[in-house]
Amino acid sequence: MIIYVLIYLIIIGAAVLAVISKKLINSAIMLAVLSIGVSLLFFSYEAPWAGVFELSVCAGLITVIFISAVSLVKQDDEEFKEDRTKYKIFPLILMAFIVISSIFVPDYFMKISSFAVYVNNSNESIGKFIWLYRGIDIIGQITILSASVFVIKHIFFKKSDALEEK
Amino acid sequence: MVIDFLSYSLIPLFSALAIPFIARKNTRLVEVLTNITLIAGFINVSYILLSYLIKNDPNIITIDIFSLLMIFIIYLVGLAITFFSSNYGIENETNPISYYSLILIGVSAMSSIVITQDIFSLYVFVEALSIVSFALITSNNSEKSIEASIKYFFLTFPASVLIIFGISILLLNNPNLDFLTIKDTSSKMLSIIGLSIIIVGFLIKSGIVPFHFWTPDVYQGSYSPISAFLAGIITKTGGIYAIVKIASLIINSSLNYYLSKILLVSGLLSVIIGAFLAMVQKDFKRILAYSSISQMGYIILAAATFTPLGIIAALFHIINHATFKTVLFLNSACVEKQTQTTSIDELKGLEHKMPVTSWTSIIAMMATAGIPPLSGFWSKLLVIVALWKSGNTFYAVTALIASILTLAYFVNLQKKVFFGKLPEKFDTLKEAKAQLLIPVVVISAIIIFSGLFFNRIYSYLLKII
Repeated sequence: MIIYVLIYLIIIGAAVLAVISKKLINSAIMLAVLSIGVSLLFFSYEAPWAGVFELSVCAGLITVIFISAVSLVKQDDEEFKEDRTKYKIFPLILMAFIVISSIFVPDYFMKISSFAVYVNNSNESIGKFIWLYRGIDIIGQITILSASVFVIKHIFFKKSDALEEK
Repeated sequence: MVIDFLSYSLIPLFSALAIPFIARKNTRLVEVLTNITLIAGFINVSYILLSYLIKNDPNIITIDIFSLLMIFIIYLVGLAITFFSSNYGIENETNPISYYSLILIGVSAMSSIVITQDIFSLYVFVEALSIVSFALITSNNSEKSIEASIKYFFLTFPASVLIIFGISILLLNNPNLDFLTIKDTSSKMLSIIGLSIIIVGFLIKSGIVPFHFWTPDVYQGSYSPISAFLAGIITKTGGIYAIVKIASLIINSSLNYYLSKILLVSGLLSVIIGAFLAMVQKDFKRILAYSSISQMGYIILAAATFTPLGIIAALFHIINHATFKTVLFLNSACVEKQTQTTSIDELKGLEHKMPVTSWTSIIAMMATAGIPPLSGFWSKLLVIVALWKSGNTFYAVTALIASILTLAYFVNLQKKVFFGKLPEKFDTLKEAKAQLLIPVVVISAIIIFSGLFFNRIYSYLLKII
């Protein structure tokens, strides 16, 4: 039970930090942490498919897009310098989390793996299943990812060049 | 997924990813790389098609003919756009690296749309295509293009929500989302409901009445070569093609009667409203946009019959319409570049100074209106025969009468823009550069030849279903 409470706390904390953080890059990272928490919840509610996609798409892909976008508009962001002292509490929280999770998490992951291995009553693991039957979607992900990178380049770079000329 | 065709989507994708690394500063190298990628694919696919059409040997192609024809037209239009852009002087207005990379990713996504055998993958690639076109519209950074882009965004992304909602309904009683599985379960109520919602999403994406409000503004406002890309192929593969594909899945369904009726009404309204609105417009590109709505209506009419002949007619009209609209929009870009305007009140008598642009436009317009022996005549004939044979005689007759409207607005456009006395301000007007004319001349030749050799093409098309 305590593990669920921990996950919920992480999700709420990450959500709040994503909203109040003044730096866009911190917001993006917090959003990724939130997604990881949500995917763990999906696993725990016996929905491995949703968990896998939440982890790969929301935590992985979207974070990459956000961070690449944020890194492009970095110049504007530096005007808002923020006070970083209050963030020094984070390593302490992280340490506490590691200690607590080292007690509870191994059992939890064992439980996850017990229903994550087989899909649709076949003898194939999720990874193999995704690769064999949904392989085309990986090309789709690559297409969308590369499209997004070039979209950012196409829209934002042009604007900054035009500003420099002015 | 037809694994044999995978290279048509992977090679442009990797080429797009390679461009920023290979050609950092050299714009010429970017253009060469883009054009070579598409020329290679185009030669490859046209070799396969031609060897079939000339030798008429059924053993050459054993795989999906439907996809191969679409890949041919995607590469043809993509190549025309990149070739045109590389001589249009785009480096003054936009960032060439991202521009060409996005076009290549668009070609890759479209090829994937037509080769995929799974409705969820189709959705993923349609999304990728929407993202690409959303950025490409803003290429010249003008106020109009940004407005067009925002309009496109607000109408196509809700459409994506509808599509994913429909897919989730399909998942309720389908074990997976394969086209074959959907075909097997197409007589179940939930499947038909899901597919209908998906079709509504694609109707919005392709700009059919009553969802046509975004098309004229977007086609008129976007960067000129991109409006050709958008009208020529993107709205066709990202919208109409999916509808035709879904229609081909529910041919044998016992529940498709009401869906057929709704699509027929919507298609007929598009044909008529598009044609009437095209008559009253004062802008070259806007007329073409309304004409596009009208022609899309024919494709929907053909697909809505849910008969094999209807599917063939729809596919053939998609291909023909892609060629007409590419020629017309590229020519409108040439006219805009040479005269700085697209308003038909200011243009007159361009035939004297720009003969090639004028005559290729006239060929494309006559083909759109369905003048024999050009290719548009045959596809419209197939559409009307399919409607008649499936018992929808009222729609067949109305579609036939509406094709006279097409002729009317195009004759009007020809008279105002290309014929008549040249005004004095155009005395120094010159024909566009020869490189800009090569794509339109080649596509016009394709329009003429596919009309003349229709019997061969028809025997090829019959193998689709």
